[in-house]
Amino acid sequence: MTVTSLGYYALLLVGIALYYTLPKQGQWVILFLLSMAFYLRAAPAYTILFLLASAFLAYVAGMAMDREGANGLSAHRKTVAGITVAVVVLNILLWFLLKGSSFWMVGSRLIHHIIPAFPQLPALPIAGALGMGYYTAQVIGYIIDCYWGTIKPQRNFLKLFLFVSFFPQLTVGPISRYSQLECLYEKHRFSYQNLCFGAQRILWGVFKKLVISDRVGLIISGIWADTGTFGGVWPWVAVFLYPLQIYTDFSGCMDIVLGSAELFDIHMPENFKNPFFSRSVQEFWQRWHITLGAWAKDYVYYPVLKSKPILAIGKWARKHFNKKTAKKIPWLVGMAVLWFVMGFWHGSMRHIAGVSAWFWTMLVASELCAPLMEKATARLHINTESTSWILFQRVRTYVIYSLGCVFFSADSLTHSIDHVKTLAGALGSLTSFQGTIAGLGVTDADMGVIAIGVLALVIVAILREKYGYARTWMQGQILPFRWAVWLLLFIITVLCGMYGPGFNAQDFIYEQF
Amino acid sequence: MTREEAFERLNKVFREVFDDDAITVGETTTSEDIEDWDSFEHINLVVAVEDEFSFKIPMGKVVTMKNVGEMVDIILEMGK
Repeated sequence: MTVTSLGYYALLLVGIALYYTLPKQGQWVILFLLSMAFYLRAAPAYTILFLLASAFLAYVAGMAMDREGANGLSAHRKTVAGITVAVVVLNILLWFLLKGSSFWMVGSRLIHHIIPAFPQLPALPIAGALGMGYYTAQVIGYIIDCYWGTIKPQRNFLKLFLFVSFFPQLTVGPISRYSQLECLYEKHRFSYQNLCFGAQRILWGVFKKLVISDRVGLIISGIWADTGTFGGVWPWVAVFLYPLQIYTDFSGCMDIVLGSAELFDIHMPENFKNPFFSRSVQEFWQRWHITLGAWAKDYVYYPVLKSKPILAIGKWARKHFNKKTAKKIPWLVGMAVLWFVMGFWHGSMRHIAGVSAWFWTMLVASELCAPLMEKATARLHINTESTSWILFQRVRTYVIYSLGCVFFSADSLTHSIDHVKTLAGALGSLTSFQGTIAGLGVTDADMGVIAIGVLALVIVAILREKYGYARTWMQGQILPFRWAVWLLLFIITVLCGMYGPGFNAQDFIYEQF
Repeated sequence: MTREEAFERLNKVFREVFDDDAITVGETTTSEDIEDWDSFEHINLVVAVEDEFSFKIPMGKVVTMKNVGEMVDIILEMGK
């Protein structure tokens, strides 16, 4: 079962019926049962044991801290810190064992080259749990929040297990803090608005995924599969199309997830805020995969910056450099750690050595060049708030993001290096159009659908920027217009969505984490 | 220490950290109101506040404080 399958929507319908008709104190139990039903249909049954293990570790840690806390936190600080570290490490190890096979396979291969007697380790023959990267991050956040005392540990194990396994989030997140999902245990009244908003958001998400993303994906995978035929400018077309594919894939799935939760009056944190409106790389990462960034900021970046070694580096820098330069040194180190962890979370060397290294370099370059840019724009009398300059900044951010994705879109470090080589080789033949779009199995009608889809995305993004949510604007429109828009979206999705016989529904890109 | 005294000392810290003598913070001042107050400067600010008031702010408070008013609450609570 996936979130675009009919079975999923049948599960939602049954769930809603039970959720709002049975006694309200049992609503969280319905969510728990739905989550179990979804999980067992979506992943190998035995993998639920990994989920259970993480939740159990978090529960034991929370309970131990609760007891130690009741005894007087300061007196038992060391015990509590020990429990926190041990349980966080165990969760990371479990994730590393099941999802981090790329690290130890690459690592053992490298050692094998130096010491031939060292065995090359294979991937584990068992699958990791569904959404392991997301729920492991949530569990770690929960344990640290308990340690920091910002939340009270959950005493009901099943309720904690629901926080870990809440079914909409298991596909691609978002990574919620415990305090953001405590509403799971509250009583919820039926609301027509929640039902409408939830259904609308799901429809919009399915449209993004099945109508746009999978169609654009065909072009991109076709180009990379045969760069002999599709040489010249085509690999570059694939590079600059990829953000469209991944955005409509990831944010489309996120719309389905958030819309599904909204049907149950559960409002989960947003993961996207018009990322392609960003004027800088810094801003981009505040608008893209927001919950991962927020998680890494709270649980990695802040503690690292406030750690003794980084404070010592800052002190040393203040002695040897002027104030502005001295500030940059601990920032550089903190960002390096942050990006390493973000790359590590994605579970492969190419994310660390490619994607993370690229964005860290771009962030550092942009920070270091900022004073120069400021001087240059002032000297050239550039109005930095003019539409054309803002557009230039947005295009620049898009280009930087697209280039970083070269490492993300390939399925291994070797392939991403091959892609870089192909792109570099193609630089000399950018005016050459070998092969045609028809050769990729994409018709003119498909191109028309993509164009309409992009237009819809732009309109919704502009409305969102202005009104917070496009649907807030829609709500203010007259009834026939609203229904016409939603019906049109539904019909286009049904007619142009890539599903059913003859289509191979693509997995969500972020489902692998 | 009174709330007013805490604000007075905080203003000095803010002006020093953000290199801006025009800054005056109030109960509802947030990172949105001060241009350079990003996540990195947030930690610089916390460390400068710790130095000024001679105590450590727990990480739980560092990540959850929403405005300067809450920062003053923490200062008054920790300074007891």
